[in-house]
Amino acid sequence: MSSTKTTRIGEETRVDKVNAELVTLTYGTIVAQLCQDYDSNYQDVNKQLDKMGYNIGMRLIEDFLAKSGVGRCANFRETADMIAKVGFKIFLNVTPTVTNWTSDNTQFSLIFEDNPLADFVELPDDGRAQDELWFSNILCGVLRGSLEMVQMQIEAHFVSDVLRGDDTTEMRVSLVRYIEDEMPPEEE
Amino acid sequence: MSYYFTILSPTDTPLFNIAFGTSKGGGDGIARFRFPETAQYMNQFIIHSSLDILEEAQWTNGGMYLKHIDTYPPAAAYITAFLTPSGARFLLLHQPPNLPSSTGTGSGLGSSSLLGTAGSTTRASSSSIAANPTSPQTEEAVRQFMNEVYENYVKTAMSPFYKQGMEIKSPVFRTRVTAAGRKWL
Amino acid sequence: MAGPPRHATMQSISNGSTLQSGDRPQAQPSQQQLSQQSPGLRVPSNRKTIYDRHLNRSRNTELSRASFAFLFGEMVTYAQRRVTGIQDLEKRLNEQGYPLGLRLLDLLFYRSTSTSSSALSSSSTSSSPPNRPLRIITLLHLIHGPLWRLLFGRAADALEHSVSPDTPNEYMITDNDPMVNTYISAPRDMSMLNCAAYVAGIIEGVCDGCGFETKVSAHNQPTELWPSRTVFLVRFGDSVMEREKVLERAGIK
Repeated sequence: MSSTKTTRIGEETRVDKVNAELVTLTYGTIVAQLCQDYDSNYQDVNKQLDKMGYNIGMRLIEDFLAKSGVGRCANFRETADMIAKVGFKIFLNVTPTVTNWTSDNTQFSLIFEDNPLADFVELPDDGRAQDELWFSNILCGVLRGSLEMVQMQIEAHFVSDVLRGDDTTEMRVSLVRYIEDEMPPEEE
Repeated sequence: MSYYFTILSPTDTPLFNIAFGTSKGGGDGIARFRFPETAQYMNQFIIHSSLDILEEAQWTNGGMYLKHIDTYPPAAAYITAFLTPSGARFLLLHQPPNLPSSTGTGSGLGSSSLLGTAGSTTRASSSSIAANPTSPQTEEAVRQFMNEVYENYVKTAMSPFYKQGMEIKSPVFRTRVTAAGRKWL
Repeated sequence: MAGPPRHATMQSISNGSTLQSGDRPQAQPSQQQLSQQSPGLRVPSNRKTIYDRHLNRSRNTELSRASFAFLFGEMVTYAQRRVTGIQDLEKRLNEQGYPLGLRLLDLLFYRSTSTSSSALSSSSTSSSPPNRPLRIITLLHLIHGPLWRLLFGRAADALEHSVSPDTPNEYMITDNDPMVNTYISAPRDMSMLNCAAYVAGIIEGVCDGCGFETKVSAHNQPTELWPSRTVFLVRFGDSVMEREKVLERAGIK
């Protein structure tokens, strides 16, 4: 599928809306609650967020396929485009940039210019959160869960976050394997 | 004019303090309280002793900006208050400078006499916010200051990791309050 | 969590003049501070912080409702694993909503002071800042109208006062079709659960923030037309009712 066509699907898919701040504040509440429950053990918080995202991803993919009407992707590059321009567009109304491909086309980065989950957020000034907590880690789990449902095992993690004082917010996504020995389908 | 600004939680826990001097009329922005060695303690004491009045004003005036609510003559200290809807209290103590005796009419420690210098020939106009804590100009300037602090306070409080009653330690917030003081006071 | 009076702490620091200086940065004599100044968080090279983001930037922006439902659903599922029953779960959701109420309250008032078209008044011509609610009825209108519009894009469906003479402190806010229930299917063993407990917590935060001690609970009251109709029962504390009488006599609106 052409990249511009993918963009158009992302922009034209109509979904029910809700006030963005309700989503932002609710997500903030979740993360703050986890930090409290896990006594600021941020590694555990990251893990739990990833797990929650995984649960979401497994259910979200159905919603995604129904709303967007898209079929199978021909290859991982097309998958990446679909995630950025349709998936993120529909569910978070942002379009991260796909970049930094490895030469074997199995790893790429998503660079987030905007991230509604992190609006209003300042990490705790405890000397650790900025080194240990990935505030938006739920997104990694969402990708993992939803792609697993379409026979792709991937690994995703953040490598930088403006909340930590980095200049960009970047997630690294790697294809581990296609599940059940399925080869990527030739056609959509 | 010297200022002491503090934010108290709804249960009177101090969340933020800063002292500064006027930047108007050639002021250098440095606080010069009349009794420097006890100023820290005195300022807090004076502010806390105005809380009863604040709590009364809180339920008769629905505004956020409650203007000048209290005066403590022994220290020539004037208290102005702003209440956020979520119950945080912004309190600004202002203390006019001791007028140098060379300017004549101002009579040293007699604080209330400062208000009586309106007709005098002191260089700073009596209505200027640098000299007169209760003039309409001062009231308006403090309103602007309070509104600007409020905006930054809301930004602080919106973060999911900020819980009501937590001390505000952000150096950026401090810079913002300092800048608001320089701009309006 | 009330700490010792801060000035006492400050004094003890300044009295301890025999301490080696250099342990801690010396405060400027003219700059009294609450505590040691924090070095602060790292910021990106463009120096952008939360203080650089305009509070109205996300005003009126929208996101997928499904995203909210997924997040909120996970929040409920997660909370469910850490509690022992429905009541406990609703209490937890309520507690999570509470701080949101405080935030939304400040945000609402900020927006109505900073813009000409007030978020709090229906007339767009009024430019004077809104008043903090002093009376119960003003507070409830704030919740029924502006708060509901900020959260759900419309006012709540009804606002009523208890007719029973025994409970003059009880008020009811009704939502015929609460968004938080529409998309969330309660866990099977908790069919009586009302996820609107989260919203009840938000309401409680707003009331408490304004100085009205309150307990708010969410109750399923389905009708044929509105199967997920929810009534938020707002019960004001005795101190509020006492004050209400005093303000009434003083003619304060």
